[in-house]
Amino acid sequence: MAVNSLIRPETPTPLPPISRRRPRRRYLGRKIGHHLILILICSAFLVPFAVMITTAFKTPQDIFRVPPKLLPDRWVLSNFSAAVRSMPFLRYLANTVFLVVLNVLGTMISCPLVAYSLAKLRWRGRNVVFGTVLSTMMLPSQVTFIPLYLLWDRIGAVGTFWPLIIPAFFGHPFYIFLLRQFFMGVPDSLREAGLLDGASELRIYLQVILPQAKAALATVAIFQFVATWTDFLLPLIYLNTQSNYTLSIGLYNFFGEHGVAWGPLMAACLIFTLPAVVIFMVAQRYFVQGIAVTGMK
Amino acid sequence: MADHPRVTAPSRRRRVRLAGFGFSTPWIIGFLLFMAGPIFVSLYYSFTEFNLFQPPKWVGLENYAALFGDPKFLRSIVNTAVFAIIGVPLGLVLALLVALSLNFPVRGQPLYRAIVYLPAIVPVVTATYLWRWVFNAQYGYLNVLLGHLGLPQPNWLVDPFWTRPSVIIITLWGIGGTAVIYLAALQQVPQQLYEAAAVDGANAWHRFRYVTWPTLTPVTLFQLIMGMIAALQIFAPTFLLTQDRNNAASGGPGDTLLSYTMYLFQNAFVFLRMGQAAAMAWILFLVIGALTVLILLSSRRWVHYGSE
Amino acid sequence: MTIRFSYLWTGAAAKALEGIIASFNASQSDIVVKGVSDPDQQAQLAAMTGSKGAFDISDNFATVTGSWASKGVVKSLDEYIQRDKFDLADFVPAALNACRYNNQVYQLPIAVNDSAMLYNKTLFEKAGIEKPPSTTGEWASAIAELTRSSSKGITQLGFCGTSSAAVDYRLLGVAHGGEWYHNNNPTPTDPGNIAGASFYVDNVIKKYGIKQIDRFASGFGDYQSPQAPFYQGKLAMVIDGEWQPAFIQQFAPNLDWGVAPVPYPDGRPELANTTMLAPGTLFIPSNTQHPDEAWEFMKYLVSKDTMRTFSKALSNLPSRRSLLKDKAYSTIKNFDVFLNLMASKNAKSMPSEPTLAQYTSDLATADDQITRLAKTPAAAYAEVAKLAKSYG
Repeated sequence: MAVNSLIRPETPTPLPPISRRRPRRRYLGRKIGHHLILILICSAFLVPFAVMITTAFKTPQDIFRVPPKLLPDRWVLSNFSAAVRSMPFLRYLANTVFLVVLNVLGTMISCPLVAYSLAKLRWRGRNVVFGTVLSTMMLPSQVTFIPLYLLWDRIGAVGTFWPLIIPAFFGHPFYIFLLRQFFMGVPDSLREAGLLDGASELRIYLQVILPQAKAALATVAIFQFVATWTDFLLPLIYLNTQSNYTLSIGLYNFFGEHGVAWGPLMAACLIFTLPAVVIFMVAQRYFVQGIAVTGMK
Repeated sequence: MADHPRVTAPSRRRRVRLAGFGFSTPWIIGFLLFMAGPIFVSLYYSFTEFNLFQPPKWVGLENYAALFGDPKFLRSIVNTAVFAIIGVPLGLVLALLVALSLNFPVRGQPLYRAIVYLPAIVPVVTATYLWRWVFNAQYGYLNVLLGHLGLPQPNWLVDPFWTRPSVIIITLWGIGGTAVIYLAALQQVPQQLYEAAAVDGANAWHRFRYVTWPTLTPVTLFQLIMGMIAALQIFAPTFLLTQDRNNAASGGPGDTLLSYTMYLFQNAFVFLRMGQAAAMAWILFLVIGALTVLILLSSRRWVHYGSE
Repeated sequence: MTIRFSYLWTGAAAKALEGIIASFNASQSDIVVKGVSDPDQQAQLAAMTGSKGAFDISDNFATVTGSWASKGVVKSLDEYIQRDKFDLADFVPAALNACRYNNQVYQLPIAVNDSAMLYNKTLFEKAGIEKPPSTTGEWASAIAELTRSSSKGITQLGFCGTSSAAVDYRLLGVAHGGEWYHNNNPTPTDPGNIAGASFYVDNVIKKYGIKQIDRFASGFGDYQSPQAPFYQGKLAMVIDGEWQPAFIQQFAPNLDWGVAPVPYPDGRPELANTTMLAPGTLFIPSNTQHPDEAWEFMKYLVSKDTMRTFSKALSNLPSRRSLLKDKAYSTIKNFDVFLNLMASKNAKSMPSEPTLAQYTSDLATADDQITRLAKTPAAAYAEVAKLAKSYG
């Protein structure tokens, strides 16, 4: 039983350092081996990035050279100017950011609230509602796709951002499920202490429980950020004027228009990927911590 | 942990019930509006002939029957099955291997971890175009690399045999998300278990098989189900790889890139056969449900919750 | 009153269009046209399903007439034509008929595409062939003489698709006397269709190997770039449309090339000068809020002067008979062959039936199987015939 509780710690236990009883030489060799393996793996993941970056800076002669060479002979910026000139990049970026912010906001407001009620509060119908959360996790979006489209069309929302914003404020089954798991691991004593103090459930939720959940919330926020940032199908269907395209659709149309102009295309891809990469690099510490904490069980 | 018997006044219990229900209202409303309602509407559509411009016409099971006689439908199932049966297990194994490597006690772990996760946040549009370039038979870097190593250089996106592996490779590139999740799980395996195993004389393989793996089985189960669901719904990579001038719909060489969802999309928006698209969606729903139940049932045999 | 014109054209064509739009806006003060380029046909269709239109006038091809008209997606233009006594006689009959459904006009043709065989004069000279083939027999031997291989694969190919192994089987079938529709019914297994496909399979695919051809074709850059195989001088003959003169001018200005009609089968000279016409068209969606203004703009777009400017900028053929001999096109190299083919009695087109989208898709699958030698032409098209029974 003691082992049981050990398997569900609330914070990740860092690995203790390798025993110092081993002879130094073997220790060093093993360490180099580890690094080599990791470098090999990372190279595999990085190669496409390298291709994207180098191609973005190449002249057409370099791009179509046979046999191909990775590094350009001459680094040029013409692809970037071609890409940016042929599409309203800042507009697409603004639209995408707008959608991301609202979706993350909506998710942050709705999902923890619902998850908490499913985890900690006792009420009739709780299990039924949890059942609906579970079952819709398996629901392919294709099933509801067409009726939803017609629904939005009926109220004149096709061509606007509303279909891409409103659902976030009603909760997403996957995040509700994750957060529920997390909340189940939060000690009951916190809530009971709040109740003893005479606070309402809402106040307990807002002032006692939520602050405990920072890492889990950050995780969900980042998941939602990535999902909205990279979304393709929903904007494809609901956004039909250029002025409200997102980055994904902008890139898709760029390809449709110019066919395969690889240099500008890679430049456009690079521009589109950069903001996400930057944000991720900054936030990744919280993110990984959060994954561990939400306890993927 | 002992359970403290709770004695609460009825008014307290009612307040809790109200709060519980109240907190869940966003989900309940959203569920009814965006899921339950549309689910039944789409079930209705699947029994009709509906082209969006004229009122639906009831045709009973005709859509379902027509689908099973449609070679494109069967082809899309085969293609998607390839993605699921080969891609998902391969992805899990790869993710686990990467996670084990990331778990090495070396300096710079956060950087390696970030690099591995990076592809997962690249928008699928960008990733697909990028790989389309990397897979180019003549100028693509992948074939250059293979050439240097003296390996055959397939015509990735034109040869019907290699198109689906290309899609699988693209999805494997994004395996960082799963790897990071495995990593978090790995880091929660209690050190005591390893030490106990070492005392019993276990080597690295035994340590993995009897300590690490059982702890990872719940995560694996979850990822297996989620991965299966995602693989069955693959749309963007196949859609974008077959994108032509003027974005006309096609299925790729030998229709090997026609994924299930892509054909559903074509039925809906190219052929304007909403009824058949809805029928396809429902078949997918049932298949996913059945597979999930199957996987869960089988899980009793290989998933360990808690200690050994 | 502002109306929106969403068009599939991009690049140079879009620029020309914007110029035309500006002229229209300047010429009168009642209607302001806002143009936007959006090449996505799916998005176009999706925008027309909404109750509120995203655009008031747009373009597509005559092939969608039957499908869209039968579903009420586009507005019939008959009442406007009668009200304004709009003259339809100047339009090329084959082009205008493709825009009719149930005897009503649903679209107006603005530019027409047809196809012919382009050939590389330099390669012909080197091989000692004096003139382009006019019969399929000559064609077969020309292909053989113009193909070269090395140990690494094909280095020069006599004939294949523009950027892949796939060719226009519709045109090949018609050039061999076949037809794809008869009395409003799909007829994929017409012997001419099979003969056309067999010609390509026997003389190119089977002789040189699909894998090698794939390799060869994909080793070049993409269609609209200087690296396309024909532009690079590695492909001796290719079937393509009348926009090629403009493309070649842009991507391969030093290429020495010529055009000839697609060869006819030996012993059947009545099939000479066969081509397939594909009209580009303008239409008004049913869900527009401003149909009257859209019609005014449409009349402007298909007027003689505008059409001349636009078709020249696109290097497309005009749809008005009075423009077929217009001097403006004489500056485009080799354009006259394409123009003359339009007036040929063997200028055919795919009728616009409601089932066309599905038929085209199934034919595309069959084409692919034929190209890959997965099925013989007869078997592949028989399969399509079977599927065609369940259309509509």
